Amino acid sequence: MDGSAEVVALVGVGILLTALYLQSESFVDPLIRGIAVQSLLLAVLLGWLAWTTQSVDLAILAGLAVAVRAGLIPYVLRRQIRAFRWRMRELHAAHRVTGHALAAVALAIIAWFVFQQTLASIFPQPGAALPFVLLVEGLLMLATRSNTIVQVIGYLEEENAVVYAGALFAQGFPLFVEVVVFLDVLGVVLVAVILSIQRDVTGTLEEAALEELAG
Amino acid sequence: MDWATQVVNILQAATVLLLSPLIAGVAYRWKAWTESRSGPSIFQPYFDLAKYLRKETLLPQNSSAVFLVAPFVAFGAYLLISVVVPVITPYPIPFASTVDFLGGGLLFGLAGTVTLLAAIDSGSNYAALGASRTVSFAAFAEPTLIIVFFAVAVITGTNNPYVTNNLLASSTSAYLAPTHLLVTAAFFLLLLAETGKLPVESVGLMEFGMLEDGRIFEHSGRLLGLNRWNGWLKQFLLYSVFVNVFLLPWGMDAAPTVGGAVENIGLLLVKLLLLVGVIVLVEATVAKVRLFKIRDFLALSFSLAVFAVFAFAVLGVP
Repeated sequence: MDGSAEVVALVGVGILLTALYLQSESFVDPLIRGIAVQSLLLAVLLGWLAWTTQSVDLAILAGLAVAVRAGLIPYVLRRQIRAFRWRMRELHAAHRVTGHALAAVALAIIAWFVFQQTLASIFPQPGAALPFVLLVEGLLMLATRSNTIVQVIGYLEEENAVVYAGALFAQGFPLFVEVVVFLDVLGVVLVAVILSIQRDVTGTLEEAALEELAG
Repeated sequence: MDWATQVVNILQAATVLLLSPLIAGVAYRWKAWTESRSGPSIFQPYFDLAKYLRKETLLPQNSSAVFLVAPFVAFGAYLLISVVVPVITPYPIPFASTVDFLGGGLLFGLAGTVTLLAAIDSGSNYAALGASRTVSFAAFAEPTLIIVFFAVAVITGTNNPYVTNNLLASSTSAYLAPTHLLVTAAFFLLLLAETGKLPVESVGLMEFGMLEDGRIFEHSGRLLGLNRWNGWLKQFLLYSVFVNVFLLPWGMDAAPTVGGAVENIGLLLVKLLLLVGVIVLVEATVAKVRLFKIRDFLALSFSLAVFAVFAFAVLGVP
């Protein structure tokens, strides 16, 4: 494995670890930071690929990823929970940390087997399964969580997977398409934020339950 | 087999036996510093050991021979491990071919199991509580250990710790490979859990750890001394394996001479003190997790270990 592939592999595993963290975290504020870190790692990957392939398009995408995914979207989401940042938590998720972590691991393995059976012959390069695994992890998050903002984070994770896959396999993609993907995410986040202004959509704060000192 | 190898063999066993209380003593003292105390002397574990060996041994009324024999069996297991894992040599010493990595893990398991049996045999509620708690969490820790062995095996294609040491010391790309980094992280978390360190078990001046310490609650006198020594041996061996095989595999003198082995003892001490420093730092900065959250801690360690093997499968290289 040459140096470039090693960097791609290390960053890929870093992104996978953030996915594991996102699954097992129950507080919303660290989750938003977690997705920002994941986006930042993705931007590092895009920047590295831009550097090695001398591609201006990828460099612009890396810049966009930092500005939109690691900067703007986390800022908007954190603004949304600013007033109750330290209490905003999904209590049910807090009781299932072990289950969520093990489900994330099991799903990663299943996703890898599915990838091996279906797409591996088309994308034989090492690490090709990682975007696919990340996509499924985002899906798991959408399925297991009930809080709107956390679901938005799961959706963002899926979108990160799409950009990751695009960067690895479709470097000849027109820039226009990639930019549209980014703006698409922005639109979805805006809609979600507008929706979550209604508190019943955000989910209750579970403050009463938090006072109970349940083990 | 020439005399130099024999001497190195004995030297390695002696290093583990005699230096393990010292490492524990240094850890106690440094931990005291983080609590703004001057702490006991670093030789305190030796004084403790001498005291325990002089004291009278009392046996619980209902206990059987298991209670009496267990500390000796555990001590024997640790003594055997001390001559099969890389401690002061980067090359296998004569006994090393007895067992591989997995076998070493089984020996640790044997020592742990007989200690548990002795705890249950004592008939004491406290010891049984410590035993039952240890087993509940061991059920989560053991799979991690096995997966760590798998990960080590996929890195080198063999389950021999000496091969792993040589490969990691000679190849930077193998050292920086995701599989190795993840398995090192997983093993470090496991190390904290297995040696009763802070996020998992809290042992202090006013506090009695209820996992590892709880099991030897009923032992006294020589048996207690032996049990304490077993704890230090286990810690020393796990630390040695961690620094020599995973974290800092570099720098050992490969010449099969007594002089080279003695040099490596000094190097090992430096590495171990570094590790103790890191662990004291961890202990000073993290809070103890609640009992039922220990499972989450171990699940994280397990996930990291599985991801280590997973990274190998996905990336195609260690």
